[in-house]
Amino acid sequence: MSSDSDNEPIETTSDVEPVSKTSPSLEKEIELPKFEKGLADKIVEKFGSRTKVAFVKPDRVRINVGRDDVKEVAKFLRDVLSFDHAESVSGVDYPQDKEIEVVYHLGSYTDSSLSRQILVLATRAQREENPIPGNDATKLPSLREIFYSVEFHEREIFEMFGVYFQGHPDNRRLLLPEDWADLPPLRKDFAIKGR
Amino acid sequence: MNKELPPGLALQKVDERIMTLNVGPQHPGSGHMRIIVQIDGDFIVACDPDPGYVHRGEEKMAEYRNYITNIPHLERPVIHDSCNILYPYVLGVEELLGIEVPERAKYIRVIASELNRCVYTMYWLAIYGIFLGHSTMFMWPAGDRELLIDLLEKMTGARVTHAHFVPGGVRNDLPPNFEDVCLRQVNYFEKRIKEYAAIFYDNPILISRTANTGVLSREDAIRLGTTGSVLRASGVDYDLRKKEPYDVYDELDFQTNVLKEGDSYARSKIPWLDMMESCRIIRHALQKMPKSGSVRVKLKPNPKGGDASVYKRVESGRGSLGCYIVSDKKPEPYRVKLSVGSFRNLIALPYLLKGEKLGNMPSVYWSLNYWPVEADR
Amino acid sequence: MSVIAPNFKFSEFVKSILDNVFWILLIFALIGLPAVQVILFYVEMPVIDGELLTPFLALTWLADPSRTLPILKAFMNTDLFRIAAFPGFGFAALIAAGTIFIERKMLAKLQLRVGPFYCGKVEGILQLMGDGLKLISKEIIIPAKADKPIFWAAPIIFVATAAAFVALIPVAPGWVVADVDVGLLAVFAIIGFFPIITILSAWSSNSKFPFIGGIRALHQMVSFEIPLILSLLGVVILTGTLNLSEIVASQSNFPWIIFLPIGAIIFFITILAELERIPFDLPEAESEIVAGWLTEFSGMIYGLVQLGTYLKLYAFAALFVVLFLGGWTGPMIWPPFPEEIITDGIVMGPITAKIPGLPVFSQEMLNGVVWFVIKTMGVIFFILLPRGVFPRIRIDMLLSLGWYKLIGLAFVNIFIALGLLYAGVLGPGGIL
Repeated sequence: MSSDSDNEPIETTSDVEPVSKTSPSLEKEIELPKFEKGLADKIVEKFGSRTKVAFVKPDRVRINVGRDDVKEVAKFLRDVLSFDHAESVSGVDYPQDKEIEVVYHLGSYTDSSLSRQILVLATRAQREENPIPGNDATKLPSLREIFYSVEFHEREIFEMFGVYFQGHPDNRRLLLPEDWADLPPLRKDFAIKGR
Repeated sequence: MNKELPPGLALQKVDERIMTLNVGPQHPGSGHMRIIVQIDGDFIVACDPDPGYVHRGEEKMAEYRNYITNIPHLERPVIHDSCNILYPYVLGVEELLGIEVPERAKYIRVIASELNRCVYTMYWLAIYGIFLGHSTMFMWPAGDRELLIDLLEKMTGARVTHAHFVPGGVRNDLPPNFEDVCLRQVNYFEKRIKEYAAIFYDNPILISRTANTGVLSREDAIRLGTTGSVLRASGVDYDLRKKEPYDVYDELDFQTNVLKEGDSYARSKIPWLDMMESCRIIRHALQKMPKSGSVRVKLKPNPKGGDASVYKRVESGRGSLGCYIVSDKKPEPYRVKLSVGSFRNLIALPYLLKGEKLGNMPSVYWSLNYWPVEADR
Repeated sequence: MSVIAPNFKFSEFVKSILDNVFWILLIFALIGLPAVQVILFYVEMPVIDGELLTPFLALTWLADPSRTLPILKAFMNTDLFRIAAFPGFGFAALIAAGTIFIERKMLAKLQLRVGPFYCGKVEGILQLMGDGLKLISKEIIIPAKADKPIFWAAPIIFVATAAAFVALIPVAPGWVVADVDVGLLAVFAIIGFFPIITILSAWSSNSKFPFIGGIRALHQMVSFEIPLILSLLGVVILTGTLNLSEIVASQSNFPWIIFLPIGAIIFFITILAELERIPFDLPEAESEIVAGWLTEFSGMIYGLVQLGTYLKLYAFAALFVVLFLGGWTGPMIWPPFPEEIITDGIVMGPITAKIPGLPVFSQEMLNGVVWFVIKTMGVIFFILLPRGVFPRIRIDMLLSLGWYKLIGLAFVNIFIALGLLYAGVLGPGGIL
């Protein structure tokens, strides 16, 4: 079981191989997977302290970036490291941190050495207690010009979490009905009735 | 006439030549989705897909159930392909909990997954026939798929919504004498689908209706982030069972089918070729499977993950299906996100339909291997 | 109260009997008596054996078994019988019903299923009746903004036109409802009427999907009319007449399909297009336009449209048989009527019953009818077959087929016909 916590961004961590459930205290310095470490190193080399590598696992590398740098990092990932599409874009709501995290899973079809890798790019948006619709600070820059494939995913996050993506050509509802007047449903303060 | 509009509405000038057609949810050509199509004569000018008619809030509901009771819940997006939908979730939970799955269970999972893929593809092929107006192409796959549903019923107890995969293996062992029955039925099934070549894939009218329509070039397929058979029909050799093998796929031999044209005909042919590969996989897996052994690792009640997140993905009938699980130290997951192939392929629909003839709309739309229920979750 | 019928009340029983008597008397008075008046005053009575048949004579002669047959034969020669029963509407409706049954069963077997099974003891033979009853009992829903007079009239005109088409087809020598000298030209005129009805019903529905369907139906039917007419010109050139009965008579030695196969094939393809059968069923059952121009029809109106469609199917198949396959000609397979019954009467032991007027139908006529039905059913089988094999064609492929390829082939066919004629092989004064 991976004992990493990726709620707070940390520097390179030691990776415990997922063998048994009872080894939280063993902090052996196991070799990090080389290829993924190489990717993480390239990113850190370019961006320094603006990005934080959350974990380096076999086939998965996670980078946490701030809201203002995410477009640059994404462009670097696309042009230099040749990640060309987003497998999935998900939002995670952390009301205790007052933030909504948007996680992009990026993959590559063109580069055959990257066909197993998924790069996890995570940014955070501020979350207000009582948002005024249309005038709150929950905004993120849209990655649509860089990765065309995130268009519908970002629309879904917009309607499910209330995160406005600046630069997205079409911030509109996708799955919810047009007359939805309640909170964005996937936020934690939206409770399903009866539970 | 200049009365004040209610807030939130805007006036839009409408071109007189363009007719807006609601190929709506109650339509024999749309599945459970609405496509707002604007046509100028016979050509589609713009297309706006409107999914969400079957949105049930699976991901929100998953946060209220613990890891085990999520299993019958999360298989609902595609009921007849339910093993494949559960697969990434189960693999993710196994990684969170640090469980190693016994060998026999892995083989059973592979067999169930391939059977499900065939069942789904036959249903998809049947609806494709209806959209093209070919009623035999509806009846034959719908009939032949009963063979495999019968096998799945023997294996899991249910025709659809199997709920067979659990973290730690599979729920039950195979019934006795399953291998022979399975081999016989799979062989007959393969013989039947080979006959489809003569009536469907070499049918001149089908070829002239689907060839060279909705052409998706290789660069566009990559840029749009499509997946599954749509990607492989455009010339990209990417199959997760080969690139990132999970369970025992790296020990079975099969090939990936890739076609270069990227039109609707290629997209409709790849799933059929994949089905024949599935039959090969099933036969090989039946041969190599260990004849006895446990099929499940017993878990403690209310398993809890740590503070971690996993992203696992699996190749299902529609493309790569990923599951992103974020767990805190509770028995319920903090967030479960299913990244389904249909939703990722949906972006190709407005892209491809622009400039197409109206007559091509059903064939292009359904050839994207789109399952509306899954895309809405 | 009795045990057998615990809810029996004698007063209600008497009431029900009186109700029935009342209704029978009412119907007899309102319908039966006027019918008798109509027969007495308006229907022409035939002359049998030199005597004018009055209703009184008819009633007495019907009671006498030796005189029923001349009355029946005279009745069968009237126009009313020809229009209503044979070879007109009744015969066509019977063949249409048979066609529907065969279509459903044949398609089912092609598609590895059973087809109608429960209605009727033998393999679901009464399914059509069940469907007809269902359609009659359904509510007819008319869209609010539809053009009501045309909406109601269009299906009725459709059936009427189809019936007019049926009226021109000769079934047996001398048995045709309308023996016009320009029979084939009348057929073309009637075929040209169908697109108008389709577009009228589509337009009057006032809705988007019927609109698209109607426009497509118009395109389809109009673009296939020209190859249809051109392909039949070959037959007209070789026979020199437009009268359908004479065309059949000219094929007593050989059917025209041997010399004009291309024309037959083109005609067959245009039949499929005019009937909106798969693979040409764009205007109707579509997956883009719900049900095309039939979308807004419900209940008995839909039933009427289906009836008209199947009448048209029979008429086109019969036309193909008449023009290319020789109509009613064929070797004599009907056994001749035994001569003894005509001269001596039926001998049953000690009783001899003489029945004048036998045989009711001549042997040639029955033989012709049998061959006609066999050939028509064969053609109908081939019309029904593509439904299980082909998907639907697209509008632009259909238009290019109708306007380019078929017209070109039709001209080739005409050249062949002209060549055969001027080489002296066929036609008047020819070798054959």
